[in-house]
Amino acid sequence: MFSRTILTLVCLTVGGSLSGPAARAADIAKGAEIYQSACKGCHEVSIGPPLAGVVGRPVASEPGFGSYSDALKERRSLVWTKDELDHFLAAPREWIPGTLMMQTVPDAEERAALIAYLETLGSGSDVEEGTAALSIDQPVIVAVRRLNESQYRNSIRDIFGADIEIKARFEPERREEGLQAVGNSDLSMTSAGFEQYFGLARSIAAQVLDPARDNALAACSQAGSMDEQRECTEAFVGHYGERLFRRPLTSEERAVRVHTALESAARDGDVRQGLQLALTSLLAAPEFLFRIEMAEPDPGNPGALRLDGYSRAARLSFLFWNSAPDEELLAAAATGKLYQADGLQAQVARLADSPHYEEGVRAFFSDLLQLDGFDNLVKDPAIYPKFSQVVADSSREQMLKTLVDLLLVQQRDYRDIFTSNETYINRALAAVYRVPYPADTAWAPYTFTPDSERAGLLSQVGFLSLFAHPGTSSPTRRGIKLHEIFMCEPTPDPPADVDFSKVKDSKAGTVRGRLLDHMENTGCVACHRRSDPPGLALEHFDGLGQLRKYENGQLIDVSATLNGVAFVGAGGLGQLLRTDERIPACLVRNVYAYSAGQLPAPEQAEFIRRSTREFAGDGYRLPGLMQRMAVAPAFFNVLVPEGLAATGANARDAGATGR
Amino acid sequence: MSKKFTRRSLLRGTLGGTAVCMGLPLLDVFLNSNASAYASGARLPVRFGTYFWGLGLTDTPAGGTRWVPATTGPGYEITPELKAIAAVKDKVSVFSGFRAIPEGRANLVHWSGHASILSGVAPTASGSFDEASFDTRVADALGGATRFKSVDIDASMSRTPVSYSTRSGKTFASPEVNPLGLYTRLFGAGFQDPNSDNWQPDPSIMLRQSVLSAVKEQRQALMSTVGQADRIKLDQFFSSVRDMENQLAVQLERPEKREACNPPVEPGELPRGASVDVVNENTRLMARLLAMGMACDQTRAFNFVHTSGASETYMAGNSKIYHQITHDEPTDAKLGYQPETSRLAEQVMEGFGAFLEELDAVPEGDGTLLDNTLVMAFSDTGYAKIHSIDNIPMFLAGGAGGRHRAGQHIHQPGEPVTRVSLTAMQLVDTPVGEFGRGTMKTARPVSEVMA
Repeated sequence: MFSRTILTLVCLTVGGSLSGPAARAADIAKGAEIYQSACKGCHEVSIGPPLAGVVGRPVASEPGFGSYSDALKERRSLVWTKDELDHFLAAPREWIPGTLMMQTVPDAEERAALIAYLETLGSGSDVEEGTAALSIDQPVIVAVRRLNESQYRNSIRDIFGADIEIKARFEPERREEGLQAVGNSDLSMTSAGFEQYFGLARSIAAQVLDPARDNALAACSQAGSMDEQRECTEAFVGHYGERLFRRPLTSEERAVRVHTALESAARDGDVRQGLQLALTSLLAAPEFLFRIEMAEPDPGNPGALRLDGYSRAARLSFLFWNSAPDEELLAAAATGKLYQADGLQAQVARLADSPHYEEGVRAFFSDLLQLDGFDNLVKDPAIYPKFSQVVADSSREQMLKTLVDLLLVQQRDYRDIFTSNETYINRALAAVYRVPYPADTAWAPYTFTPDSERAGLLSQVGFLSLFAHPGTSSPTRRGIKLHEIFMCEPTPDPPADVDFSKVKDSKAGTVRGRLLDHMENTGCVACHRRSDPPGLALEHFDGLGQLRKYENGQLIDVSATLNGVAFVGAGGLGQLLRTDERIPACLVRNVYAYSAGQLPAPEQAEFIRRSTREFAGDGYRLPGLMQRMAVAPAFFNVLVPEGLAATGANARDAGATGR
Repeated sequence: MSKKFTRRSLLRGTLGGTAVCMGLPLLDVFLNSNASAYASGARLPVRFGTYFWGLGLTDTPAGGTRWVPATTGPGYEITPELKAIAAVKDKVSVFSGFRAIPEGRANLVHWSGHASILSGVAPTASGSFDEASFDTRVADALGGATRFKSVDIDASMSRTPVSYSTRSGKTFASPEVNPLGLYTRLFGAGFQDPNSDNWQPDPSIMLRQSVLSAVKEQRQALMSTVGQADRIKLDQFFSSVRDMENQLAVQLERPEKREACNPPVEPGELPRGASVDVVNENTRLMARLLAMGMACDQTRAFNFVHTSGASETYMAGNSKIYHQITHDEPTDAKLGYQPETSRLAEQVMEGFGAFLEELDAVPEGDGTLLDNTLVMAFSDTGYAKIHSIDNIPMFLAGGAGGRHRAGQHIHQPGEPVTRVSLTAMQLVDTPVGEFGRGTMKTARPVSEVMA
């Protein structure tokens, strides 16, 4: 018996003609759109000052923003009235020559709408009002997230054993908001992709059911009567189905596969072949290939949704182990323990205590630091003869080993990653770092000496070579990635009409010289004065990350200034980053986004802030942070997906939840 | 008893009954009178594909370009950056002056241009399209009878595989990135030689079909309680499952003979590297495999990427990548253009020349595979130095089975790029009357090139 879906649409928007408050609401909505497309790219990532409260604020007076142009600073006696903003937005560089503001809003109506929206930013009034809310009384799908390659591989290994060979090309992943975990939430599967996964499903099923492999469940072939055979097949499909789908199969899901298996066994007299077909269809199912997250009404919080027990289990397991839930975790989900504080606490503690936890942390940092780039990293062999795929793989491993040792083994302050010189090297890396490698093990602990100029993760060959060009270093790319990865501050694309004619050619001289030209160019400076300085401080490392002091015969200067603070070299940069408040806050956001496959919703802002405070209170230790977040109820709160109402009317007979 | 007289049985006769598989020039006796079909009556299929390269071609800022021919219509002259197509120019139409129109949206650098060409609308964000790319519509129309509806290839050796073919606007095709991968897909397991005389249906295919029906069984249940974005993803997944079913169904039928089909040997590994000479070599090898894949009728649609939008290719030994050079290099006062940029553009076009030569090297009917194919080639920008999306270089190459009046230069400044896309679709008989959104919406193909 399936439950009926009742979807109630509560619409708060006032209909009728647009006048008074309604017209203003429409203006604000239009202004919000303009803000999203034209303003936030810079003003939410500290390229421009934050705009909350800008209407009525004196010019150049935002205390946390250190990068006002001289032109604005000279006008501090002025106030951003609506009128003043209107003039400024129409033609910023004509109204205040010398400003770095690049965006213009030539249309007067659009300016009025934008200013109306900016006013709401400071007032704390809720602009979200007027959107529709849904109330739902049955489980719904709230996310469909494609498994990535490592999650797929780990799941197969943990369910069937490490001896199963997985040979296929996986679909490319997608990075959004700095994370593949977020980008993959947008992805489906192409025909060529499914072809690969289908081939893989057949190959894995054949290996699992290989007669040479000791497999108790494959013993269905010994079953005598039809009934025994059916029972055995049902147990087989039920067992592997639950592990692969990360929840028990519905009766329909099980029946269709049992039918396939028994029919084939009866026709060809080959029981093993029947089981193989059933297993293949589990492995090729969307319920395995995608993490389908389900939510249900939250009894403690009417109108809100919470992730159901099995979706919780999967979220925890992929976060801590980067793999599918094990039987104990599934059992905890089945018995409702993951809804209770102590049950949840016990499971999270168990996950964090396991040797698999290291894999979870490695997967998180591989995504965060964009280490997938090493798979296809290309360097020009004429310029960097020491580069090879071995060096690329070693560089990635060095970063991960360093992080695991500092953050997991030693449980050090997260911010130490920018300053600590404790690391590991192997023979291939020793050649690039130009240090001896006396050890006879594959890897050995190593501490960089002061004259190496290295300081922290950013001065390792991995970061330096990944974020560079094939034949040269790139302070801009390094700076952009540093802001994106560690501060959650992406850099907007350059404007299409940027005038490159003022950028001088520099076959001679240094990259630094070329970039300082950007700083004199008003079209470039707003972003480059933020993106370049950290990279300029790292210029003693070439495109492969090798130490050098000269470029084209000129001594390289590694002093830089960011946000009004001067620093020198990799060491200076590390010290600066260690005290930057954005960095721990960004990590907290990323732990959430990585796990949830999306950025925190506005409703979760307080949860993120609280977690950040507790992170600081605990000495910025990563394992504590992850465990505290994973037991908080807010971690499992989800929003109703858009567009659900449109399908809800047809939902009642479909019986999505026969479990 | 009817005596079947085919080219292959004749060959077998002369060689004493051994099964032989080798490509031979066609004799007229096997063709019908107008040579668009084999004598058996089977028409030669028409194929369609896109070819993309990054960073456009070079303008001379004072006026003029390094690539647009001075005259329009048939018999255009070869300009410096078109040198690479000189050998096949009678089979190539050049389109100049066409532009992408962002209509109030930002010109997203190295993205808005080709997104407009493919999806018909300037996109709202980099990295996604607002509509499906049109090649998927053509593939749907052409691809039902072949094992693969479409084959996607990326020769660029980039950091991440590049494809601009998308059904959802977010999930892009996963391309083959090296000759071995492409060979395995086209000629590895599952390949059935159309000219083999002892063809037998593979009984395991029916087992695979039963697996797929089980996979599809829960579609309704999944779709019933899902939001809009997730519904689109699941829809695409199930459409990929259907493509797989179609592939299996095709394999259960005896393939039609393909005289031009001569399965190649497995290629070796190429050295990795993204310099333009390596990319061009990769392009040639993958084009050769693709051409034979089409001659053997494994697919009738493809998307080929030579280099990505902000191309990272470079001249071997040069520390700067092409992308950087297009922006940084000053215009040479005497020459009036960027000499290094233009040299790189010429090199990049050699990839396109090689690609077309490979398609033209496979004899088919009384012509070549290229004569039965339409390739639409284009880039992300016009003049890359300023990210211009005006005057984006576009080409239609190949005869499209006699439909394309090739060898012309069409110069229509200010016209939307979507007109060329629509022309391409109609030349291969895709049932589409109009294409694009807003100002780029058009129902007017470029009729000058349509026979």
